[in-house]
Amino acid sequence: MRRFLLQRAIRAVLTLAILSVVIFALARATGDPLTLILPPEASAEDRANVSQELGLDRPWVVQYGRFIGHVLVGDFGISLYHRQPVNELIRDRLPNSMRLAGFAMAVAILLAFPLGVLAAARKDTLFDRGDQVIAILGQSVPTFWLGVVLIETVASRLQWFPPGDIGGLDHYILPGFTLGWFVVAGMMRLLRSGMIEVLDAEYVKLARIKGVIERRVIWQHALKNALIPVVTFMGMYFAILVANAIVVETVFAWPGMGRLAYEAITTRDFPVIQAVVLVAALIVTVANLAIDALYVVIDPRIRHAG
Amino acid sequence: MSDIPLSPIQRVLRRLPGRRTKGRVAGPPLIPLVILVAFVLAAVFAEWVSPGEPYRQALRAGFRPPVWLDAGTWSNLLGTDRLGRDLLTRIIYGARVSLTAGVITVLVATAVGVAVGLVAAYFRGRVDAVLMQLTDATLSIPIILLALILAVTVGPSFGNVVLAIAAILWARYARVIRGEALSLMERDFIALARVAGCSPARIIAVHLFPNILNTVVVLFTLQVGDVIIVEAALSFLGAGIPPPTPAWGSMVADGREFITTAWWVSFFPGLAILMVVLSFNLLGDWLRDRLDPKLRQI
Amino acid sequence: MTGGKFYRRAVLLLPALLALACAPAASRAEEKSSGELTVALSSLSTETLDPILGGQIVKFYLDQMFDYLVGCNPDGTLSKTDGLARDWEVSADRKRWTFLLRTGVKFHNGDDVTSEDVKFSLQRATGKRSTTGYAGPMRELIADIETPAPDKVVIVTKQPTLIIASYLSRALSTEGMVLSKKYHEAKGDDGFLAHPIGSGPYKFVQRTAGSFLKLEAVDNHWRQGAPGYKNLWFRLVPEETTRIAMLRQGKADIIDISRERVKEVQADGFPIRLRKDDAQINFWWIEPYQGKPLDNPRVREALNLAIDRKELAETIFNGMAAPGPVPWGMSWSYPEVGFKDDALQYKFDPKAAQKLLADAGFGRGIELQLYSYRLPGLPEGQAMAEAIAGYWEAIGVKTKLVPVDYPAFRKKWIDRSDPGGIGYFNVANRNWIGAYAIIDKYANPKEATATMHDPELEKIVLAIPGQVEQDKVNDLMRQLYARLRSEHHGVGLLNIHTPYAVSKRLASWDPGSVMYDLNLDQLTLTKK
Repeated sequence: MRRFLLQRAIRAVLTLAILSVVIFALARATGDPLTLILPPEASAEDRANVSQELGLDRPWVVQYGRFIGHVLVGDFGISLYHRQPVNELIRDRLPNSMRLAGFAMAVAILLAFPLGVLAAARKDTLFDRGDQVIAILGQSVPTFWLGVVLIETVASRLQWFPPGDIGGLDHYILPGFTLGWFVVAGMMRLLRSGMIEVLDAEYVKLARIKGVIERRVIWQHALKNALIPVVTFMGMYFAILVANAIVVETVFAWPGMGRLAYEAITTRDFPVIQAVVLVAALIVTVANLAIDALYVVIDPRIRHAG
Repeated sequence: MSDIPLSPIQRVLRRLPGRRTKGRVAGPPLIPLVILVAFVLAAVFAEWVSPGEPYRQALRAGFRPPVWLDAGTWSNLLGTDRLGRDLLTRIIYGARVSLTAGVITVLVATAVGVAVGLVAAYFRGRVDAVLMQLTDATLSIPIILLALILAVTVGPSFGNVVLAIAAILWARYARVIRGEALSLMERDFIALARVAGCSPARIIAVHLFPNILNTVVVLFTLQVGDVIIVEAALSFLGAGIPPPTPAWGSMVADGREFITTAWWVSFFPGLAILMVVLSFNLLGDWLRDRLDPKLRQI
Repeated sequence: MTGGKFYRRAVLLLPALLALACAPAASRAEEKSSGELTVALSSLSTETLDPILGGQIVKFYLDQMFDYLVGCNPDGTLSKTDGLARDWEVSADRKRWTFLLRTGVKFHNGDDVTSEDVKFSLQRATGKRSTTGYAGPMRELIADIETPAPDKVVIVTKQPTLIIASYLSRALSTEGMVLSKKYHEAKGDDGFLAHPIGSGPYKFVQRTAGSFLKLEAVDNHWRQGAPGYKNLWFRLVPEETTRIAMLRQGKADIIDISRERVKEVQADGFPIRLRKDDAQINFWWIEPYQGKPLDNPRVREALNLAIDRKELAETIFNGMAAPGPVPWGMSWSYPEVGFKDDALQYKFDPKAAQKLLADAGFGRGIELQLYSYRLPGLPEGQAMAEAIAGYWEAIGVKTKLVPVDYPAFRKKWIDRSDPGGIGYFNVANRNWIGAYAIIDKYANPKEATATMHDPELEKIVLAIPGQVEQDKVNDLMRQLYARLRSEHHGVGLLNIHTPYAVSKRLASWDPGSVMYDLNLDQLTLTKK
């Protein structure tokens, strides 16, 4: 078991290392940040000055060496665009994104669980089909469109909730729902098929024979076991949320990591692009590791396999 | 992560005939099938079925409403966009662009993913470790982020959008296919093939591949819709299939600003996306129930 | 005293008002600032709070934090009432510019603004780190800066010039913003950046880059007295629907809005304020295009004739634009130099355009790359580019649209890596000095930004800066515009107005005409 977790951890570190090289190269391939920092009228001399000041005139290898050296001590450098330490930017944004992702995850779970379980209990009925349609709807319209429609109707016309921007709990409702519904389909499917399988298993049949009432069979005996795959894939859903946050944060003017990533890419802010991708990957990786560990705890079979 | 080891009892249970088909399995979902066939036909015969030309602009005829509203005209059944182009025409041509983008992307991703997954499962050991390490690294990059970086780097175009999405998507398939193939590798017929002296390439191609086809088909169906949605998100971020090409995603993105004044501009392409993605998903779900019930995670 | 009247009178009665420069402050000094004002914008531009960094200068918040040496009226003319200089004069040889500073003006930390601060700020703005628009030319031009008294600065130039005062006003760029020398030397560049101070009506409180900036009113500002609002927020809200929802919910007081949505918002009772004639939309070709079809003036004329400017103005720009046919023709400067573009309008004539192409030997059409991107103040940019491509397609010019973000286009342009590719910009309107400055950047082949090669044009441009007689300058400027138009050195498209939607609680506000400024001074208080 310890070996299993150790292996996972080593792989996670390797993953991040590969990623750092890829993202470093990609960030530099997106073009010259000087063109953005300097006004159109800037002279060649101005360009050389600023390039030197920012260290952009050094060879890539040197830049990477410096970058990775600093990253290892937790320093992502200075944003070319904001002229502010990247750490500060991330410190400002990361909690906003985490809270939004957490809220969205809660929305997703609240939607997916009843839908998934009830669909499994009434497999292949019209009810099941209807459930699936509701679940899949969330990922069948472009996220930004759903967001804009919600803002126009719920925020602008009805004025029930604020149209985004950071604030109290009510500010989370529209972006959280927009972001959360997107992963409902995946989660619901997993639960549904998990439940169907479990409901078919011998011990559930046994419970039924023993006369346990059906509602208890479903919600207690079966759900507990069907949860395992859902937990396993929590990391993946989380990754999906992180990715979709770029769109949702733009629509709802949410000052999070997704927005930061988008701005950084369009402004060729190397240090920020690198940092955001690495931090996002780190979070997903750590989440996966935690889930692996949790998984070992809840599922005894892994211990034998490891 | 995805390959949950099975207990011996479960393994036995899995091989018992009839277990999966227990209970009534519904027939193919008709409505989704009809929708998909209709859109595919529209895409193929766009020149014949569309009422106008997709690129003809007439600025003064912009934002004309659908025919059933006041000021609507029969020449523009679903109205016009801000440049006065016929929406119905663009949606029909858009079917060609968006469906092609979805299908090609998934084809490319599937080809790479299946190859990687099978090779990793067959050779195990170091090959497996390296390939899965790559897969892990790829999976840890948010798909929209990479697509955005690539689109900004090499410039947005149909080909680049396909490449950018496929560059990440393959890893999802590689994982699933590897898991499938690993369990196949334990089966007797693979051992027999090996004893008979078949080359690795032959075993992979002739013995492994046909046995994972069900999974591939299910994955394929479930992912085409996803790709269309990702393309739309990229359009919103300015990195999708570039205008004036009529792609559904960019049509919705361009029209989103006018949902109060000219709702039809984004609504109809949005509806097209919704119908197609929903249909692919429902069909995929049905196929999975039918062909590969344990494929749950996608 | 209402704003519009005040400024109009100021222009007419300058000498009299000079003596009373502090009068408006006195009249409002007893009032206290209260309440919140939120400005929600689609872009906060480069969000650095250091005036010399970041380049792109549509940064309305800076004008609230810093004062310019030279004042500027809402219509872009220079003012001796709202800049730190209460007066200035230039020597007979046009090489010594003397500025007299207002006394008693204080930085946010209580220090007095002195000539030393002006000198320091100017040196910094033209220094090595500076990325402002005119750092290079200013550095070339300025020989020395003298500070004979705390309220007196003398800028000595290497050659005779008429341009110094304009360059140091907010009509052009940020070089004229005055920073505290003492504070800067104590805190260093980074310390300043973390908590910048100036002498403007609002001081820095807090910000989250990419989200918001919060400013707080000073107790008493020399120009305004107590500013209208206690707190001033600038929020970045990229999605228009979200900005409008914020306006409707009362979470924003001023938003920028695309011209196409003006009617919708107006119908709900939200007033629209226009910044009139604040920019010209201009298309140009990436150098070097010698040997390409574009080298032929007839081809360039054909591209101009193919566009229905009126239709564009009425549809995509919703009537908030008028045709402006001269490339880099800055309409503010027209009355100054006695130029008129009425007779120079292009007729929309696709047939003639096709014929010109055929005459030039391109009857079978040509190919072009048109880059399309978003720009602050021009949310219609991409739709406009798509429409232009449509017009050109119609005369047989195969136009490939390349959607990029602006930096990507800029890179191609500066590197000259896509000769003949086409880009556009909403160029901030300006007076003749500004017009000359910007045309020089595009007409001078030595500049990285050059977009045309025309020795005749260059000759005219080079004759302007050393010219000290206004009549001759005017004549040269007229020649310049005529040449740009007759050679079709680009596509001068439209002069545009930029709309802002405001909440119902704002009594009145005139956003002025300076693209770089929101003219928040002019905002009257909340309706009581």
